[in-house]
Amino acid sequence: MTSSGQLNNKNNKPDSDYKSLPESYGNTEAALLPRDPNWMFIYWEITANSKANIAREHGHDVFEKARHVIRVYDVSHSSVDGQKYFDIPAMIDARSWYINVQDGGRTYCCEVGLVLPDGRFIAIVKTNTVNLPTSRVSEVMDEKWMSVSTEFDKLLQISGVEYTGKSSGEVAKSLAQRWEMLRSVFSRASSWGLSSMSSQTLVRPAAAEKKFWLVADCELILYGATEPDACVTVAGRKVTLNQDGTFSMRFALPDGNMDLPVKAVSKDETDSRQISILVTRKTS
Amino acid sequence: MENKEKGYLALVLHAHLPFIRHPEYEDFLEEDWYFEAMCETYIPLLDVYERLTSENTDFRVTMSLTPPLCNMMTDDLLRERFRRYFNQRLELAEKEVVRNRNTQFYEVAKMYERKFKRIRELYEDYYHGNILEGFKKFQDMGKLEIITCGATHGFLPLAVRKEAVYAQVKIAADDYKLRFGRGPRGMWLAECAYNPGDEVYLKANGIRYFFLETHGIIYGSPRPRYGVYAPVYCPSGVAAFSRDMESAHQVWSAEMGYPGDYRYREFYRDLGYDLEYDYVKPYLHQDGVRRNIGMKYYKITGKVGLNEKAAYNPAEAREMAASHAGNFMFNRERQVEHLNHFLGRKPVVVSMYDAELYGHWWYEGPDFLEYLFKKLHYDQNTVKMITPSEYLERHPDNQMIQPSMSSWGDKGYNEVWLNASNDWMYRHLHKGVERMVNMANRFPNADGILKRALNQCAREVVLGMSSDWAFLMTVGTAKTYSTKRFIEHTNRFIGLYEQIMGNRIEEKYLADIEWRDNIFSHIDYKVFSTGAQEKAARG
Repeated sequence: MTSSGQLNNKNNKPDSDYKSLPESYGNTEAALLPRDPNWMFIYWEITANSKANIAREHGHDVFEKARHVIRVYDVSHSSVDGQKYFDIPAMIDARSWYINVQDGGRTYCCEVGLVLPDGRFIAIVKTNTVNLPTSRVSEVMDEKWMSVSTEFDKLLQISGVEYTGKSSGEVAKSLAQRWEMLRSVFSRASSWGLSSMSSQTLVRPAAAEKKFWLVADCELILYGATEPDACVTVAGRKVTLNQDGTFSMRFALPDGNMDLPVKAVSKDETDSRQISILVTRKTS
Repeated sequence: MENKEKGYLALVLHAHLPFIRHPEYEDFLEEDWYFEAMCETYIPLLDVYERLTSENTDFRVTMSLTPPLCNMMTDDLLRERFRRYFNQRLELAEKEVVRNRNTQFYEVAKMYERKFKRIRELYEDYYHGNILEGFKKFQDMGKLEIITCGATHGFLPLAVRKEAVYAQVKIAADDYKLRFGRGPRGMWLAECAYNPGDEVYLKANGIRYFFLETHGIIYGSPRPRYGVYAPVYCPSGVAAFSRDMESAHQVWSAEMGYPGDYRYREFYRDLGYDLEYDYVKPYLHQDGVRRNIGMKYYKITGKVGLNEKAAYNPAEAREMAASHAGNFMFNRERQVEHLNHFLGRKPVVVSMYDAELYGHWWYEGPDFLEYLFKKLHYDQNTVKMITPSEYLERHPDNQMIQPSMSSWGDKGYNEVWLNASNDWMYRHLHKGVERMVNMANRFPNADGILKRALNQCAREVVLGMSSDWAFLMTVGTAKTYSTKRFIEHTNRFIGLYEQIMGNRIEEKYLADIEWRDNIFSHIDYKVFSTGAQEKAARG
């Protein structure tokens, strides 16, 4: 017998194959990918050579002294807005990160770099630019449209906009029992969706009496790194490490206290480290 | 009768499987996905089209047959293995008819015997081992519109280099021409994943339209005048049709979804587990592990345990499919009447589904479609079935809109294909594309073994781009296989790349990879050149 179904039974560590791919390609470079209106994914590689050059120029301990950041530029109107950016603290050795932005519908690019104690920024590597979708109905209307705009909400309802994005997920849930296996094995389960991460979907309150409205929510990202072969648990749950030993998790963050002990045990189980994180959320 | 209709229904079935073919093994489990889809969906659909045609029932349907699927359908090795598959099934079905005489399962046993005989008849006598002949026949009659898809179902919004987008489209268009004798008019973007601007590469290949998830158009700019009920033109002039959610939910939702009816066939009670081991063993894989073999004798029955299911009654299930088809038609009539009144224009309702839903997952799905086609043809005049090409011919004036980035995956964007389970792939994938582009630019006129190596590199890069690998990693079940496939294609590419750059191509190594990954026999690596992509982008 010669197929993965069989391999699966014998081999409890199918992910070990990852190691056969190159760890790195020997170029300092980075790429930015769009995930959804509010999230992007960045990956980068910074060679030892690039690091050495920076250390030569800015001091051998620059990587310890400086803050490691991803600088996120909004370049939607680059000539007008000039330098519109914000920094996300990151670890240069993490090699990849998810980036949350407030505004969809804009154009972004990033630099991975160092912020020196005196505030100067050393850019190490820059990404491509990414246009994120807006995820809302356009405010641009043509003349023809204006005359029927009061009907638009109704048209949206008919068009099924209320299902958008979560439609497939909802259908999935309701059919999950019967279709569990189907969605897993065969082809395009995407037409009824699946849930990969537990992000909360913001739902606009149904036809409020007044036009003005606000929704807000908050999520939590936990990240870290250890030896690639270590065993890491967060709040008792085993975490799958990336091949370079980094890990990140995204949690829903309800009101109250959340205790997140992070524990790493070395492969030979002789060594362990623990970091406790306590998060409190209060919404009013 | 003429122009009496109040609107249109465009039924779109997306047929796709990743390219799975393992000549290095005698027997390979994942190849069954293809054989099952052949027996349960693709051939039964052709059977429906054959019957409708012989009865003079007019119908219209649009199907994407993706390049990997077309390549598998015409591959000699898979043809032989498919023959082995359905002949084995037929042999078992014949034994089962004898075994089940005078039992409550006799009718369903007879059903399988008829089914596999018909599959053999269609496959061998009608289509001579090439079912694309069948699809082409109905396309040439004007009843079926076959569209293509990215070369390997690549997920275009996550490509950094536009050369990769161009290559996915161009390879697919060339493959389509080879098989169907003309260029494709439409394209199914894998996962309906659209990145604004990418449609220029469709245009450069003569492709006039593609499909979007609902919010691709709803969130487009300026606001769509007709919502999703008329196509729009992108600024490049390529048309985008968008999915109607109401008809999607009719089939899928838990409360009113059809496939959950208790009279329909139960998926989980399978003869592979129910029969005595020694009797069923010859029909299992070589490892002898019990698995589904696709023959099932029970109906859903209700909310009862698998051991309390009642015998399947084929006649009763067909009746139900007819009744559901009637319900679906009724709802489309009302929907179209309402929209026509509301919009002041004939709406087009675009109902998009995975083809494999019909038959593989919902066993009675092809019956449902057959009844639907018949009822739409004979029983009403409100809704007219149409293909996108026909629609654009009749209604060439449409609003110009820039659609929004979107996909039909969970949450509507790219997360299913970009999350913690699969994001590690992209640095390797992008590096492969970058190197491929550099080689295509550097060797504009390769020949001999270099040309062969470059062409094989192109095959490995596009196979790695298949969105299926990332998808399966997210879903988790075939994760081992999909991970293995991605790594294999990446490593084969790297191996060949290093040999090419080191000017030391090993013929034996190359020939071995050519033998394994033989998709796109006519591929030309130059599709990855920057010049080709830029020329296409200029229009």
